[in-house]
Formats: sequence, C-alpha cells, structure tokens
Amino acid sequence: MGYEPLVKQNPLRVLKLTGNDKKMGLIMARAGLGKTALLVQIALDTILRGNRVLHISIGENLDKTKLWYDDMLQAILQECPVAKPHELIDMVRQHRMIMTFKEAAFDRSRLEERLNDLIQQNIFTPDCVVIDGFDFTATDHAKLEDIKNLMESLRLQTWFSATSHRDDTRVSPTGVPAPCHEFDDLFEIVVLLKSYQDHIELEILRDSGKKAEGSSHLRLDPATMLVRQED
Amino acid sequence: MNKDLKFVRNIGISAHIDSGKTTLTERILFYTQRIHAIHEVRGKDGVGATMDSMELERERGITIQSAATYCSWKDIDINIIDTPGHVDFTVEVERALRVLDGAILVLCSVGGVQSQSITVDRQMTRYNVPRIAFINKCDRTGANPERVVRQLREKLNLNAVMLQIPIGLESDLEGVVDLVTMKAVYFEGEQGRDIRYDEIPAALLDQAKAKREEMLDAVSMFSDELMEAMLEEGDIPEALIREAIRKGTLSLKLAPVMVGSAYKNKGIQLLLDGVEKYLPCPTDVENIALDIDNNEAEIKVSNNTADPLVALAFKLEDGRYGQLTYVRTYQGEVKKGEFITNTRTGKKVKVGRLVRMHANEMEEIEEAGSGDIIALFGVECASGDTFCGGNINWSMTSMHIPAPVISLAIKPKDNKAQDNISKALNRFCKEDPTFKSFVDHETGETIISGMGELHLDVYIERMKREYKAEVEVGAPRVAYRETITQRAEFDYTHKKQTGGSGQFGRVGGYLEPLEEGVYEFVDDIVGGSIPREFISSCDKGFSASMDKGLLTGAPITGVRCVINDGGYHTVDSSDMAFQQAAKGAFKEGYRKASPIIMEPIMKVAVEGPSEFQGAIMGSLNQRRGVIVGTSEEGAYTVVEAELPLGEMFGYSTILRSLTQGKAEFSMEFSAYKQVPKGVAEQLIKEYEASKKN
Repeated sequence: MGYEPLVKQNPLRVLKLTGNDKKMGLIMARAGLGKTALLVQIALDTILRGNRVLHISIGENLDKTKLWYDDMLQAILQECPVAKPHELIDMVRQHRMIMTFKEAAFDRSRLEERLNDLIQQNIFTPDCVVIDGFDFTATDHAKLEDIKNLMESLRLQTWFSATSHRDDTRVSPTGVPAPCHEFDDLFEIVVLLKSYQDHIELEILRDSGKKAEGSSHLRLDPATMLVRQED
Repeated sequence: MNKDLKFVRNIGISAHIDSGKTTLTERILFYTQRIHAIHEVRGKDGVGATMDSMELERERGITIQSAATYCSWKDIDINIIDTPGHVDFTVEVERALRVLDGAILVLCSVGGVQSQSITVDRQMTRYNVPRIAFINKCDRTGANPERVVRQLREKLNLNAVMLQIPIGLESDLEGVVDLVTMKAVYFEGEQGRDIRYDEIPAALLDQAKAKREEMLDAVSMFSDELMEAMLEEGDIPEALIREAIRKGTLSLKLAPVMVGSAYKNKGIQLLLDGVEKYLPCPTDVENIALDIDNNEAEIKVSNNTADPLVALAFKLEDGRYGQLTYVRTYQGEVKKGEFITNTRTGKKVKVGRLVRMHANEMEEIEEAGSGDIIALFGVECASGDTFCGGNINWSMTSMHIPAPVISLAIKPKDNKAQDNISKALNRFCKEDPTFKSFVDHETGETIISGMGELHLDVYIERMKREYKAEVEVGAPRVAYRETITQRAEFDYTHKKQTGGSGQFGRVGGYLEPLEEGVYEFVDDIVGGSIPREFISSCDKGFSASMDKGLLTGAPITGVRCVINDGGYHTVDSSDMAFQQAAKGAFKEGYRKASPIIMEPIMKVAVEGPSEFQGAIMGSLNQRRGVIVGTSEEGAYTVVEAELPLGEMFGYSTILRSLTQGKAEFSMEFSAYKQVPKGVAEQLIKEYEASKKN
C-alpha cells in the first residue's frame, strides 16, 4: 500500500487494532466529545492497513458521514503529507462503504441481510464494521450477543459508539458507564472519552476482555479531533 | 405591467420528474385566469398542459424546455419559468435559476425528497434562491407530508417549517389548515375555484395547535417583535408572523412548507398567496454585474428603471419569425425601437418586437421595466449575453455550464436531411450551451455531444419532428480524454528540403502534468535560440497537438509545454516550420510522459424499495461502480455510487427489469478519472483498428 508510515505514526496503535480481529470494541463518551471522530480514525487506520470498512451510521445522513471522512483525512494529510494525496483519497473511497439507517430501520436481521447482500454478491467484503449511533437503551444483552455472534461468524471486527449521560451514574464492575454497563462482557475493548478543562482523554476501561490498568496516554486534539499521544 | 417592483415576482418551479410541477403550473395559470381550461399532462383531451409547448414534451409527459409565462395574482405580477425535472436538462434549470428571484420546490408527498430534488436544491443554493416547498399529491395513496418535511430537513438541510397541515390524506384530502390564520380552508365549486374558510375540525385542533407552536418557535427566530408577542401570550398579529416568515425565507434560513394537490385543485390559491407574501421581489435580491471597462469590478445592479438598461439573455429559441430571446432586465427599461448594446460583441442592436411570453403564445408589449422577464424578437445574440443601454458596459456574472460527457455520431438518411441537420444543429447549439456538434474530419461523421442519453435523444427527435431530418444514429460514445502523468523531455528538429525554400526548426524543452487547466505554454528560451517571432508558432503547434491524443485520438488535457532550447535557419525557418517542429516535439515528449486515458465518472443515485437494495447494488457493482453508500429509510433506499459513464448506457432498461419498474436513477458528471488497464488496452486497440480502416 505504501502508507505504512501513516499507520506507524498513528497513536491509535495503542489500541492494538490489528490484534482484535473478530472482536467487538466500544467507544463511549458524552454527546459532542468526539465518538464519531474516533470511530472514523479507527476506520481510516484499518483502511490504511489495506482492509475494507463498512461504516454504518444510524440516524445520520450519508453526506454528513462522508464529510467526517473527508475532514479527518484532510487533517491526517496535513500532519503527515503523502506524495500522491489523490491516490490515497481514492483508495479510502474504494475501501469504505457507508450505510445509513433511520433509527427504526436498523436491527439485527436487517444488518445480516445487508451484510449478506454485500458479501455473497462480492460487492464489498468488509474486514471491519463501525456502527455509529446504535441505541443501547433500546436493546438487551441477548440481542446484542446475537449481533456479536453474527459478526464473529462473518469474521468481522466491529466497533460501536455509545453515548453516556451525566445524570445516569450506573457503571459496571469494570467501570463501563450506562447505558452499556450491562453489556461490558460482550466487548473486548472499551474506550471512554473523558473531557477535562483543556483536553479530551482516551481512557481504556476494558482491554482484552478484562478491566484495563493504567493510562492509554492518548488524547483527542480538540482542534483537529485527531488522536495524539501525551508528551 | 405594474411598475412598482414590490409587486413583481420572478419565480421558478423546480422539482424531481413526475412530482407534478407542470400540473401545478397549469393550475396556477388557471386560477390567475391566464388560461380558461385545465389540460392534464397526459390528458385524454390530447391537448396537453399549456407549459409543455413542444410536441415531444406533450408526448412524453415531461417538460424539456422551460417556457416562460406571465400571470397576475391579486396585485402581484408573476413571471414563471417552468423548468425540466430530468437531470439531463439541468442546464435549463440552472439558467432559469440564474434569472429568478425565488422558487417553488415541488415535492411529491409519496416520493418525498428524491435525487433530482437534491440536485435542484443544490442549484438553488448555488444561486441563493429563496424557496417555498410545496408538498404536492397529498391525494395519492401513501401520502405522508410529515415524512417529506423530515427529509427536507435531513437530506437538504433546510429549516423546513410547515405553514399548513392537510385536512385528510390520500382519497380523504379535503383541504388544508392554515397555521398562520388557524382556519380550515376548503376548495369548492368548479375546479376548486371557491375558497371557503371554516373552523378547524375538532379532530385536527390539537395537532394544528402543536404544529402552530412549532412553526411560531421556528419563525420567531427572525423577528424580535414576534418573540416578544409570543412571550406576552396574547393574540399574535397575523402580519407579524407573515413578516417573520418572509424575513426567514429571504435570508435562506427558513423554508416554508405548504401542502396540497394540484391535480385535485387543492391548496394552489394559498400557494399563490405564499408566493406573494414570502418570496422576494426583484429589489429584495442583490444581483451583481461585472464592469468590463473597469477590470471586471463587481457592481450591484440598481433595479432602478431610470438607470441605463442591464439585461441578460438567458434563453434562445429559433422560431418561425426568427430568433426569440428570453431576457431578464435587472435595471433600466427596454423599449420597442430602441438601440441596446450586446456587451460581448459590442454591437448595437435595435429592439424590434417586444413580447411577453405565455408558453408558446405571445403578447406584444411596448416596453418592459426593470425586474421583468420578456422576450425579444430578431435580436442576434448567444445565450448568456448581456445587453446594456446608455454608456455602461457591464456583464452579468457568467453562468456555470457543465461540459458535455457523451457523444453520438449521426448520419443523414438522405440529401434533403443533410441541409436540415445543419440548420437544426445550428439552432440547438445556440440555444443550449451543453449541446455541441462538430464534424469529425477523419470519418466525415457529424458528432453531437451532450449531458446524457436522454438529452441527445431529445435533440434527435426534434431534428426529425421540427426539421424533417431523418438521421441514422451510431452507438453512444463516451467523451474520453488523455493526459500525461510525468515530466518528459523533447528535442525535435523539423527539417525538409524538397526543392525551393526548405523548412527548418528545432524545439527543445519538456512536457509536464498541469494540475489545473487544460493547456499551458511556457517560453523559457534565453539567448534567442528560437527567434521571438517564432515563439507563438511553437505555441500554435503545441496547442494544435492537444486536440488529438496519440492513444485513442481523444482530446488531451492537463499539459504544460515548456520550451527552453531550439535552433533556427536564417532562410529556411518559418512560422509553418516551427509549428511542425512543435508538433513533432509534442509527439516525442508525449510518448515518454506516460500518457493515460481518462473517462467521465458519474455520480449515480438509484432510489427504490429496500427489498431491491441487494439487486441494485449488484447491478452497479457489475458496472465497475464504486458504491459510496446507501441510505435506508423505512421501505425506501437510495444507493449512491460512482460509475464510468460508458457503463451506464442502457442502465435504465436493466434497472426497470431488476426492480419491476419500481426504482429509478439519476446521474450527474463527477470527474474525469483514469480508465483501468484492461479497458485502456481495448480502447487503444479499437483506435488502431479504426485508423487502419
């Protein structure tokens, strides 16, 4: 691919994305902290490693989702210029597909139908699926486990995003806040975006299916929303 | 014509095909008493709708050329441009929008915001056209105006606010509730002519109250007075609400939504009231001209009738009595018998006949004031020309014209057709800047090019019908381009000695890819190795080489030709010799500069029931398409993809059979991109073979 330097420079390698094949990951944060920005960076990192990403956006439109990719890619290219940016932009376009659903139109059976459409007709075979906007308040453990089984059977790495709320203080024993506190066992890795006065920190709550220890030393740059390693 | 510009509205009616905009226009003309009978688009009476004046439009039930018409509603003079809905004709839409002050965006209450509505809305945004959304066909099964409003917000990012709610839906549609006056409005009598105001039906009262609250919340953002009145919780004056809606609409921050059914004659009069109350008059809109004499400095046109004339020719038609030129005046007056200047040519022309158009009928007038849309007879000009009066030399901002992407070879069936084809092509090229024609000197074929299959199809039909010119049509051809991908040196000597004076010229330098633009010539000669008088000869030679690429004969784009060395002979060097030397040098460099073939890539949106999503994606995938994404909303899906134009020929038939005719697609040009290796090899092979024959 020739984009190894971009992959190597990416601070997201701390999340050990390559080692989490077939597993589910979760990004949590309060509204507006940068969940989608982080999901898109995970997707772009996956693409730069030569893989394909299906981005499922629930409750958001196609143009806005595309815009996230355009903006994040521009920010990355500004920091790490490449010789032929157009080729990189083209490559991202060809390795990414976006599906948007209305909240009510998304469920496990619809997801399976769509994935089968793509894979069986050889239209687009993803290696990773990111699901942004999934409503965890309207699901239960069994339903989510069902989705996990589906994704594992298709050998797909899956990343979800979830919004936590200030007034809901429930947490799981591993520290995963509501509304995902009862589903934490289904996720291999859980990352919480925490807002401090002048920065946003990425706190890894679960890693390799267990409660994580220590800090990730990662931050989101509030200007570009790019992940950075702490100095 | 009323002289006060406050009482003038220049509006367009734009929408997705089959949303019923021609039917709506027909009703508007009927209620404003411009016509005295309603004819349906595909009506059994065989008359067709008034605005579909071309025979072909009537037959196909689509509007191809936007006809301009004029009507009066209450105290207001309204100029209406009916615009085509099919994406192939967007230049018509764009030209109409350029001269309009406001628009009605017609949406089907069942189909909602469809692909063409998105294209049209983007165009309206580009030209800052305030709009009212009219949700039509509320009488149809599956009508859901609320869903359409949501789509207006989500898909078009419009701050859509309902000013009305329907009373009943589908076959129960009875009328509308006006949320401003909080009255139920019914359209009774023959063809809905009699309006009856009544109390809101009890069953709808709560919904109406809630919707009014929602509307007032949105609208109050544009009026402090309204916000204060709302806080005081007393009666809110109707005028205050209307003023706030108008303010929001004019600032493009609000899109008022009205509902009804043109076919069932419901809601049209209120829509006309909306045009009067919420859409801008010519003085509400800022229009900018360029002062040619002052380095194209931007100047705001005054709209003042007393100032010198500034008018834009936005549409041409060749009729029986000569060229008919549709003109929008921005300031000053145009009078019969007066001389006006075409700023492009600098020529003065006399205004012969001045007419106000009503579809294909016309009304003679003596003069037209600022802000008006009229037509001139017998004035020679091209579409997009500006006319000025007095001593000013201004040009209205140029219009955005997309380049043609598809071409067809046509051959006359007999000698008589040959002459008529030339006449027809001459006229079409003048009328439509996206339609081009030329003769391929190698094959002797006449090539026409345009924006899509349907676009060219329509012109071929028009040749047949209007000019009695039967033509044989070749297979559609994609407008390929060639370009280079790396820098390459050349050093070429052109030498010929065949008796008499010889030819000698040597040109050295390099070619390199040009990021933006088609062609650039750079003279880096120092020390006079090529005499000054022959530098332009080199430019001519390089420039001529760009017309035909060496791989497939397609035009070349994106090349910078730099000369930095050369040689000459005091006797044998000439303009011709250096042109030939430059052509030879270009060939030499071009082969080394890794040339590639590029093809037009189209942005395609296919809409259809969700159950066919897999089939739709499969069909696009088979055509070298990159599926950008899908949007699924309930039972309806839109698949967006990027595909090479060459793969889209005949796609409509395939899509129909795949989806039982339930899906449709639109496409527009996106960019030129390199063709894959296999396709390039095939194209080169075909070109080589054609050269041998």
